[in-house]
Amino acid sequence: MNKSLMNAKDAELIVKSSVLKRRRKDKRLKFYGRSTIFIALSFLVFLFYSIFEKGIPGFFQYYVTLDVNLDQKRLDPKGDLSHESLYNGDGRGLVLEALYKVIKPKGRKEKKSAKKIISSNADVRIAKMILNDPSILGKTIPITFAVDDDIDSFLRGYIKRDTPESDRRINDKVINFVDILVKENKVIYKFSDYILTGSASRSPEIAGIKGALIGSILTLVVCFFLSFPLGVATAVYLEGFAPKNKITEIIEININNLAAVPSVVFGILGLAIFIGVFGMPRSIPLIGGMVLAIMTLPTIIISSRAAISAVPPSIKDAAYGVGASKLQTLMHHVIPLAIPGMLTGTIIGMARALGETAPLLMIGMVAFIVDIPNSIQEPATVLPVQIFMWADFAERMFINKTSSATIILLVFLILMNAIAVFLRNKLERRW
Amino acid sequence: MEMNEDKKDFKTNTVGDIFSDNPKIVSRNVSVYYNDKKAISDVSLDIGSKEIISLIGPSGCGKSTFLRCFNRMNDTIDGCKVEGKIFLDNENIYDEMIDVVPLRAKVGMVFQKPNPFPKSIYDNVAYGPRIHGLVDNKKDMDNIVEMSLKNAGLWDEVKDRLDSPGTGLSGGQQQRLCIARAIAVSPEIILMDEPCSALDPIATAKIEELLQTLANDYSIVIVTHSMQQAARVSQRTAYFHLGELVEVGYTKHIFTNPTDIKTQNYITGRIG
Ligand SMILES: Nc1ncnc2c1ncn2[C@@H]1O[C@H](COP(=O)(O)OP(=O)(O)O)[C@@H](O)[C@H]1O
Ligand SMILES: [Mg+2]
Repeated sequence: MNKSLMNAKDAELIVKSSVLKRRRKDKRLKFYGRSTIFIALSFLVFLFYSIFEKGIPGFFQYYVTLDVNLDQKRLDPKGDLSHESLYNGDGRGLVLEALYKVIKPKGRKEKKSAKKIISSNADVRIAKMILNDPSILGKTIPITFAVDDDIDSFLRGYIKRDTPESDRRINDKVINFVDILVKENKVIYKFSDYILTGSASRSPEIAGIKGALIGSILTLVVCFFLSFPLGVATAVYLEGFAPKNKITEIIEININNLAAVPSVVFGILGLAIFIGVFGMPRSIPLIGGMVLAIMTLPTIIISSRAAISAVPPSIKDAAYGVGASKLQTLMHHVIPLAIPGMLTGTIIGMARALGETAPLLMIGMVAFIVDIPNSIQEPATVLPVQIFMWADFAERMFINKTSSATIILLVFLILMNAIAVFLRNKLERRW
Repeated sequence: MEMNEDKKDFKTNTVGDIFSDNPKIVSRNVSVYYNDKKAISDVSLDIGSKEIISLIGPSGCGKSTFLRCFNRMNDTIDGCKVEGKIFLDNENIYDEMIDVVPLRAKVGMVFQKPNPFPKSIYDNVAYGPRIHGLVDNKKDMDNIVEMSLKNAGLWDEVKDRLDSPGTGLSGGQQQRLCIARAIAVSPEIILMDEPCSALDPIATAKIEELLQTLANDYSIVIVTHSMQQAARVSQRTAYFHLGELVEVGYTKHIFTNPTDIKTQNYITGRIG
């Protein structure tokens, strides 16, 4: 027998004991893995909880219903139903008169306090209603108006009755009026008319994300139509046609490096080139989209190249074997097989672009823009920038609206990912 | 004739008769480099019309490399350089004027691993004729597809499911589909690189049987690692060793009475 070999019994014992040890190690590793997943999930749950807890109430707000006498002369002073005439009308006065009928303020001081209750946007609401349906002029009809954000906060309980009057944002008289309105069943809490359809405003009760949402969509559309074709074309060239030399190598290294460049740098680039050199206007989705396209390009190129090179070489051989040219091989076989991967990379890039703030701040998309953009050449802001701006405002209601806007951004993201998954499944050949 | 001068002007260390009475392909002093690494050197060999010739030898000796020279598939490999001359019907296919597209239509190829396109059986066969514009109506195309599948011995098995994916067939059927795809463009030569190495014995037997029928119409160059297969299917056999064509001759002769010592060792199983 060979001396250096153990006898079988001893070996069996040692193996048995080591098996136990190995099993324990496996178990420990499994435990570590599960704990980290658990911790990550708890953070996620916490994050979602805090966003939804604040965000859901942000979608609702308090309204007051008032019977307003839509006096034709006072609402339409010129009598031609034009925008100009309607927006110069005395809607506010009529709304206040309707309010006074309910709460019956005594004297000028009380009336002055009562004015605070209804949002300053009430007259615009009336003007819009008349533009929609002029036949209501001259009638007295019940209309709901958003209450001012301080009243809203009071009704939600953020402003407490028992704080001394001097420390409160609303005085005792106003509280008294609100109590009357509540008692008369004039106050309702319902889904906000403004959060989805309003544009930016300093009055939190009428501020909405429509402008930012449209700005985001316009910016992403520009970004997609620039970066997808460019990125795919670049990837196809680099994978299929580029000669293997130093220049190609340098280009490849630079593309990989660009993917890791902080996004704010692309903003500086956009500011310097598009706005500085070409003198294009600031704050417009066109520039935003261009900057984001430059930012997403490396991601798209890298993932498209990966998708192309993942196509089995045997398929290319088969195509070359029957005499397909390089272009035919690419167009008929390689790209159709690579498209799902390319799209996935593109959507990941676009999702990142959707959440990007820094480069857009650089090109002025942080400006306070009330108008809803109609084209890629009108000033606009985007969702993340809107969130950033709202988070900075002091009014209590903006805290909720910030979270609401975050929820909308998340929904948008999930929607984009869903489209990506759908497209990928649809385009993926299952044979 | 100048061409003939070219064909005569070469040197060779190969044992046996490299010539063919009625050559379809004539290769002279073919050397192939992969990034300066020489894979085969100075291979000269004639391929006869409508003959089956086997290329055998230990793995890595350059059989596939030599085979891929005939339809210039080596062009698709980065860093691959081919020296020497290969005449197909008296035309040097490595001439600058030659376009690989018609060349590859004339010299079809079947690969080691069955590689049907992820498309329907019909489209697999129709792809070649379509890109070369061989026919311009559906009826003629149907005809080509049917004839190709028949000649590849696959028609009866797939005629009811031409629209189902080619990748859904069994390995042997896939390989015959690849043969159908190759013959659909009416080639004159078919190159086969170990076409049966991924197949079971029954599928292999079917392909070998098919080869005999195909040899009525095409010249076939087949690389194989199975000496039995070479013995069964081919008229001539060429033995490669470390990038050199060591010996070539009638298959019967090579397997029963090899001249070169290296061939002897390989045949008797001492190199493998
Ligand atoms: N694409 C390639 N790149 C670099 N070297 C290769 C390539 N293909 C084959 N070779 C080399 O060329 C030699 C011959 O290979 P090959 O023709 O595939 O041999 P065989 O088919 O006889 O097994 C081998 O040494 C192999 O390593
Ligand atoms: Mg090989």
